[in-house]
Amino acid sequence: MQAGLEARRLAKYYSAIAAVRDFNLTLRPGTILGLLGPNGSGKSTTVAMLTGLREPSAGQILFDGHSITDRMVEYKARVGYVPEDAHLYTFLSGREQLDLIGRLRRLPTDLRTRKITTLLDLFGLTSAADQPISGYSKGMRQKILIVSALLHDPDLLILDEPESGLDLSASLVLRHLIPILAARGKMILYSSHVLDYVERLCGAVVVLHRGRIVAEGPVRQLRAMIQGGSLEDVIAQLVTTMDPEGTARDIADVVGQHA
Amino acid sequence: MNPLGSDDGATAFRLMTRLFVRRLIDNDLISPHADRHESLAVAYALVLSLAVFATFFLSTNYLAAFIQLPGPAALSALSDRFLFIAASISISALAALLVWDALALEARDAAVLGPLPIAARTITRAKLAAAMVFGAALTVALNTIPSVLYPAFLTLNIRGTHGTTILKLIAAHATTVTTAGLFGFFGILAIRGILRLLLGEQAFPRASSTIQSALVVSAVTALLLAPTVRAKDVRIWVGGADAPPWPVRPVLWYLGVNETFAGRLVAETPIVLPPRVSAAAIPTRGDEMARSLYRALLPQFASLARTASLSFPLVTALALTTFLWTNRRLPDRSAGVPAPSRIRTVVRKIAERHTQDDPEAQAGFFFTLQTLIRSAPHRTIIAIAVAVGLTHALIVLAQGGRNSMEMRSTPPGVFGIAIMLLLSLLGAVSHAATVPAVPAANWTIRMAWRGDERRYLAGVKRAAMVLVALLLALLLPLHLALLGIAKTIAHSLLGLLFATTVLDALFFSYRKLPFACSYVPLENPKVVWPAAFATLLFVTYGFANAERWALQTPARALALAATLGAIALLVRTADRVRRRERWPVNFDDRPGLATQRLGLLEHITIHD
Repeated sequence: MQAGLEARRLAKYYSAIAAVRDFNLTLRPGTILGLLGPNGSGKSTTVAMLTGLREPSAGQILFDGHSITDRMVEYKARVGYVPEDAHLYTFLSGREQLDLIGRLRRLPTDLRTRKITTLLDLFGLTSAADQPISGYSKGMRQKILIVSALLHDPDLLILDEPESGLDLSASLVLRHLIPILAARGKMILYSSHVLDYVERLCGAVVVLHRGRIVAEGPVRQLRAMIQGGSLEDVIAQLVTTMDPEGTARDIADVVGQHA
Repeated sequence: MNPLGSDDGATAFRLMTRLFVRRLIDNDLISPHADRHESLAVAYALVLSLAVFATFFLSTNYLAAFIQLPGPAALSALSDRFLFIAASISISALAALLVWDALALEARDAAVLGPLPIAARTITRAKLAAAMVFGAALTVALNTIPSVLYPAFLTLNIRGTHGTTILKLIAAHATTVTTAGLFGFFGILAIRGILRLLLGEQAFPRASSTIQSALVVSAVTALLLAPTVRAKDVRIWVGGADAPPWPVRPVLWYLGVNETFAGRLVAETPIVLPPRVSAAAIPTRGDEMARSLYRALLPQFASLARTASLSFPLVTALALTTFLWTNRRLPDRSAGVPAPSRIRTVVRKIAERHTQDDPEAQAGFFFTLQTLIRSAPHRTIIAIAVAVGLTHALIVLAQGGRNSMEMRSTPPGVFGIAIMLLLSLLGAVSHAATVPAVPAANWTIRMAWRGDERRYLAGVKRAAMVLVALLLALLLPLHLALLGIAKTIAHSLLGLLFATTVLDALFFSYRKLPFACSYVPLENPKVVWPAAFATLLFVTYGFANAERWALQTPARALALAATLGAIALLVRTADRVRRRERWPVNFDDRPGLATQRLGLLEHITIHD
């Protein structure tokens, strides 16, 4: 039995429409895998299936060699998840939200309180910790999501656009934090549109387009495919069906139209 | 950037008004998948069917009478109209309370509309226009059909009533109840505006939810008490023999409007007998007496109508001016965020100390209290339940409570006050548990859940028992006055034991995670709700009678306590045994399709 996360021939259909087909993935401890793709490529559906929040129509997800369907609760206990949309209990304060999650994850009171207080402080949320989340900015909500994902020291981190809304300093902290966590043996799946981030952080990437994997492998191998171009060039070549420069020119023309 | 011209400003105003109206009726509280049109249609159908049912119910006497005499009809119609007006005021006020936060500019309005080149006063006026459109549409929709049906039913068997008379009666009824409804709606808007002015920008957000809950309780209590008012009570209040209670006065003002406009139309209709019916068979003397009683009230009706004609513009002006003043600037995102209360911190620390070794029970306990107190839909459910109990308490107390310290002569209703309140509260908690706290945030609990609901559920029940204890503590002075010290202690302890048993019974078949699963509406509410109401009355008075019997001697009290304890133990043990077997919780349970609910598919035959 090999430790890690594996997805085998994963598929998700909505009615007859395939959102994801034939998705295969392997993620080992200590590695960071990037998940890339344009809007509507199936990234969020894939992430939802990998977190156990959505059931696949076909295929299997194995964690440490066991199907997660059979051990869903044990699996979730080892997963930390930062979703794309920051939906939280807005009538709770940041501290109360984290307390709720920590309690449900059965963290002992002393450890929970210590971790929450310290993490809130490190993320610069101490002054707002007891204010209702309804008054938080997007970045503050995102920080709460990141802290809740890390609170129980998970083995697998699934991050869907984690940098969304973060200010520059928090963004830099996150950029440093992810490799440190990976170096400590965590598995990290990083889904993002920010190619610069993915290029810096991830050893390997999976590129999704229209629900299918169109490329996968180490970043340098993909770059070699188009003779040393950036990851952006690779993605542009793989998944972009339109002419970006031409489209940009058309947009500028429309913007410039007057009555 | 070019500032908007007057035409553009008018267009922006119209667009924003439409947006705000849409937001007022938008229902994303129950499920993110909820269809707004369907929710709206269901809510309207419910209100309308209740209104039509009430109209038929009130009109049964007029419809069943072979010959309806104008005098008695004019008198008995007073309590019917009182009910229509009270219902219109209460329901409109309740609707305004349900959209309480949306009745002022919100931070998201500032975030979305602030950057646009639109003057702040245009946004404010659009919000006000939306509130007015919402209030007007609601009151018209609520009152249209009863306004047509009731006058028609009332005069159906009054021979000699002309078509024009019926039309005038319909017009008067419609005008009165609609104006009364608008009075209720603007009354809430005015109260909100005045309190916001008095409390200021910092204190109002802290007090807002408490004020809203108190007003919901008042509106529902008023609505439930309205049917208990008899025509005789109305006559006494209008005639001035007894001063009407303050909450009743606005209803009487609008009753005065209706009777001044159209009261004479019924009371002055001559008696027209059908062919072959002799005049001797008709109690004309009773009719004359009723007419003269009614005529004697006409000056008072005119005076009440004058008060209504003053109160309506006054309340409307107050609502509009306070709204325009308090919303003259777009809200600041950081403003109005309540600071943490010291009491909350102290309560949290005490509760944590008592449940230190059980984090999941703590999660259930705190999240239940936080949701029930802070989430608007949950708070409304609890407020409505408290109003039901409070209505019962007021009816019992109005009937005289108890006359002597002799336990046998104490009416069961006195014991029923606490029982009804406890049952309503616990029923509301168990119903509120099925409504997600924030549907889109269910994933957080779903990801963190460890697969065993028992400890979390224990925390939820503990939180409910805190509310029970609080309620019994609030009732203590009343019980002390009615029952004396010893009986009050026994009554409160039995109440606690009773609540524990009921709570375990209510959650016995509950197989989800409270406040964290999608809401699935009842399949057959028209059976379940009346059955629940009948059970509420049956259990309240059953247990109240048992308690009255038990509190006559200490031995009997102990016997009742032992019986309750045994039942509680039995229910708890059965619950434990049932929950030993683990199964996955369906977080995303959804109601079946409408066609399936109608059972249409069962009747489809497929032919080869």
